[in-house]
Amino acid sequence: MKAHLKAFFCSYADVFFLPAVSLGVIIFTLTLVYPAMALAGIIAVAAAYGFARLVRMEKQFLESGYYTYNPLLVGLSLGYLFQFSALTAFFIACAGVMTFLVTVFLSNVFLTYLRLPILSLPFVVVSSVAYLASARYSDLAVRLHADTAILTTDFGMPFWLSGFFKAFGAVLFMPSVVVGVVLSVVVLRHSRVQFLLALLGYYTGAAIRALMVGSAALAFADLNNFNFIFIAMAVGGVFLIPSRTSYLLALIAVAVSTMLMDAATGFWYYYGIPVFTLPFNVVTLGMLYVLALMRHPMVVTSMGRTPEETLEIHLANRLRYPGQERTLFLPFAGKWTVWQGFDGQWTHKGSWRYAYDFVITDEQGKMHGGEGVRLDDYYCFNKPALSPVRGRVAQIVDDLPDSPIGGADAANNWGNVVIIEDPRGFFVELSHFAEKTVRVKKGEWVERGTVLGLCGNSGYSPQPHIHVQIQSAEAIGAASLPFSFVSYAEGGEFHSNNLPQEQHKVEPLYRDKRLDNITNFVLDDELHYHVLRDGKEAGDLKLKVKMASDGSFYFESPRGQLYFGKHEGTFYFYRVTGEDKWLRLLFLALPRMPLAYREKLTWHDYVPAGLVISGLRGAVVGFLSSLCPRLATVKVTQTFVSESRIATLVAVGVLHQRRCASVELDRQKGFAAVTVDDVTLRRVSHEP
Amino acid sequence: MKPAYEKPVIKKLHNGLMNKFGYSPAYARKVRTDIDGVPVADLVEKFGSPLFVYSERILRQKYRQMHTAFSTRYPNVVFGWSYKTNYLNAICALMHQQGSIAEVVSGMEYEKARALGVPGENIIFNGPHKAQAALETAVREGAMINVDHLDEIYALERVAQKLGRQLHVGLRLNLDAGVYPQWSRFGFNLESGQALEAAKRMKYGGKLVLSGLHCHLGTFIMDAGAYARQVEKMVAFGCELEKAFGYSIEYLDIGGGFPSKSRLKGVYLPPEVALPAIDEYAEAIAQALTKALRPGDFPKLILESGRALVDEAGFLITTITATKRLPDGTRAYVADAGVNLLFTANWFKFNIEMDREVGGVNEQSVIYGPLCMNIDVVDESVLLPPLSCGMRLTVSPVGAYNHTQSLQFIEYRPASVLIGERGEVDLIREAEDLADITRRERMPKRFAQEEVG
Repeated sequence: MKAHLKAFFCSYADVFFLPAVSLGVIIFTLTLVYPAMALAGIIAVAAAYGFARLVRMEKQFLESGYYTYNPLLVGLSLGYLFQFSALTAFFIACAGVMTFLVTVFLSNVFLTYLRLPILSLPFVVVSSVAYLASARYSDLAVRLHADTAILTTDFGMPFWLSGFFKAFGAVLFMPSVVVGVVLSVVVLRHSRVQFLLALLGYYTGAAIRALMVGSAALAFADLNNFNFIFIAMAVGGVFLIPSRTSYLLALIAVAVSTMLMDAATGFWYYYGIPVFTLPFNVVTLGMLYVLALMRHPMVVTSMGRTPEETLEIHLANRLRYPGQERTLFLPFAGKWTVWQGFDGQWTHKGSWRYAYDFVITDEQGKMHGGEGVRLDDYYCFNKPALSPVRGRVAQIVDDLPDSPIGGADAANNWGNVVIIEDPRGFFVELSHFAEKTVRVKKGEWVERGTVLGLCGNSGYSPQPHIHVQIQSAEAIGAASLPFSFVSYAEGGEFHSNNLPQEQHKVEPLYRDKRLDNITNFVLDDELHYHVLRDGKEAGDLKLKVKMASDGSFYFESPRGQLYFGKHEGTFYFYRVTGEDKWLRLLFLALPRMPLAYREKLTWHDYVPAGLVISGLRGAVVGFLSSLCPRLATVKVTQTFVSESRIATLVAVGVLHQRRCASVELDRQKGFAAVTVDDVTLRRVSHEP
Repeated sequence: MKPAYEKPVIKKLHNGLMNKFGYSPAYARKVRTDIDGVPVADLVEKFGSPLFVYSERILRQKYRQMHTAFSTRYPNVVFGWSYKTNYLNAICALMHQQGSIAEVVSGMEYEKARALGVPGENIIFNGPHKAQAALETAVREGAMINVDHLDEIYALERVAQKLGRQLHVGLRLNLDAGVYPQWSRFGFNLESGQALEAAKRMKYGGKLVLSGLHCHLGTFIMDAGAYARQVEKMVAFGCELEKAFGYSIEYLDIGGGFPSKSRLKGVYLPPEVALPAIDEYAEAIAQALTKALRPGDFPKLILESGRALVDEAGFLITTITATKRLPDGTRAYVADAGVNLLFTANWFKFNIEMDREVGGVNEQSVIYGPLCMNIDVVDESVLLPPLSCGMRLTVSPVGAYNHTQSLQFIEYRPASVLIGERGEVDLIREAEDLADITRRERMPKRFAQEEVG
């Protein structure tokens, strides 16, 4: 029952793209102003849900907002039009079921062929159908609107202000200033971005129409203007990451929609039906389709509860996770130097631009001892080349001679090679092995770090080095694909996934067993902490390891979840949900940790601004960061003080705010103590 | 200056006969006028004779060379500086600066490392004698402890009991890697099953968690293959432990024992020819490791090399204080440094260099030290032209073990200096004086009164 109620109330909030139960309850209460209409909404949703149960789709029904808010809108639209009676109820129930069918059909077609959400398209279709049909049903009595004065009064507002609130209320078929004011306050309370977009959308659309139609009063009072509000909110803040670009695109979308709205209005009115949200659906979907097709970077991939949260997640993630999905370990052990990177000055050009060359240099930056005329003067010559991926050896060549220094074998550019097929769907090629040193066979399975052979100077290579690239085909010399390296140190700094710079010294960091064991949290493991503030008892935190339905793991406390995982040499806290401040503290103190120790190793991470900035200031920063992303940057710098201690510095750049934290690892498992400012989480000792 | 009178002797000259190294032993000279660009004469003038001199350049170069050799062949390598090889503070600090952690074998060394600011976690505590108090301190401070014998297991269990938590420790093994003599007195024997029994004992005790294996074959191991055999056995044993007891072997400490370019007595070939290069050791060890370990599994490889890093960076300047002719006609010299400062003279034939060119034919000569003891011989047979009093000899390589094992027997221990990479000379240990000898002595009152009187 709880799930049902939650889904029901959420559908009200979903209309405004703000998934929050409390918000839904407020909006639902608003609709009770017209009890018949509210009832119609309930009937439509209930009918749709009943049908969903009949066809065993109740789970999807409850999980996805589309299935609830479309019938809801249909119900409200019919409840708005007709007087309530048994016949009306039947009619509404039919419409509810039909909405469900249309929703299932459209959402499948849209998701499969267009990769688009369906928004409120089913509502437009079904409501239009119902309105058209009702024209012939003389037994359905049209409702007489005898509204109370409070609902009809404009409070003496100018038309351009009352118009805005009425348009807002019209979303719920209650074009009343009072309703509009309440709704605006509710939206403003949840998201400043959303509210400002609503203003922006309304006034842009209305102003354009005022110019076109020639009557400002008419244009501003048009109830269909709620379409502008929706378009601006959806394009500017929901489906695109709130930013100057998204705001501009929202304006353009609104401007374009005015034409569509007037065209549709003319056409639809001919048949006596309102346009509902048609302009909103058409323009928003059109815009989204094009942007997604272009893989526009501002298209939202991970949606938060509000645009501010989406932005926060995006900003943190964009900085948190640089690099590619095609990843390699560095193909050697120890410190090597990047000789040539992507788009290099010598050979990494055209189809082969995505490649890296590595050599070993000494303190003076020289690549060889002695005079550098013999192959074995070169530090990297005959040093092992390790497999950068796990996969199957697809091809090897190892019979080509090493070219003398300065010479190069132009006939066999790639020299002695090993090509490995990575099960993730690409091939990795390593080149210039020394003659007869390849130690793997074709068809052999190799793990990361398996010795493939020794670095040499075969092929087009003036001096010994390791060349590595990713390619889409198995053939030697196939075109290269972009990739990045995981888990390496560059000048004392750890990178989880990135591209090292040319001339920099880099070292791969393989998972160290000690740190790996310490972070090996198993399902149902329990961690118990005392919370101390200034040394005084301030609370208690009990964590338990759980698995989510998508296979990710999290620490569960009574008030929240902290998701974690280990990926390619790094332990991450991915995100925190719920309201547990101690979990948020834990996230802040250790957003990530390399799974290998080096003395004084440092690393950076970025966390969502909400972890450190809250309240009114959080609201202001949240909105302003859409215009200036730097505002919401929260940089976390961490250093290994020793193998079991990590020092953390959290810096909120623009606000000049700094916080210090430290983490002490337990020798067995997990964290012995976590301190942020004056708060310490201390592990309750566990018996041997 | 008028040459000093010397009683004439008849000496047979081997004229014109070349040896196979292409030089005549009669006229070969080894001359060293400076160490890293600093004149020997200046060093002695400023810091006195004898004088231990260390070269920062060579130390760092050796470290980098060796670290590169191992770390480019195996991706998880840690060096533990063997304190006993040379625990002058400056030398240890330099090694730590290079990235080495500390390897100590006694409570004193442990305290020395802590005093140098090394955190307990960065100390490996080895050795057959760890006093209960020292052990407890080390455990509290998170040191890596490699257990040497059963009684130490009991001692550690007592500490665990006291602290109320499990302790992570390593197990020292001795095993047959084809090296003679086998150092079977340290740790638990692998082949006889003693080591497995020890692990079983730890498991049943429930207070100790075995997380590493340690094994040190011996010293001056001249066969790279021995390490390969050692590593193979250690990995196999580690796998057995992981399977049988569910331990996770997080580190393999393979000890040290790598030779420096120093000449063992009785070895005909010079060290450059007789000894494998450090890269050969690294290659043998890394290959054996990667072959024996599960693919993608890289436990920490710890090396405790001492001699190979510091020996060649150490020099001892000594002064000829007397020349003699022994009854059998052999020329003999008395130097101001002997076995009191050159403990390793027992095993190694040093490289002895004069501070200037000297004319005359080489003779088999003996160099004696200053001790009033028959055994004090620096070199019983070295080819030298006639030297005179006051000449300096530079003896090398002496960086390993000589300082730590030097004696205060009848002489003061000399100063030690470190020549920096830019030629700066820093005094890292002052020459001793009487206060150093008597500081700890206490005079019973009844004698003291007489002294005053």
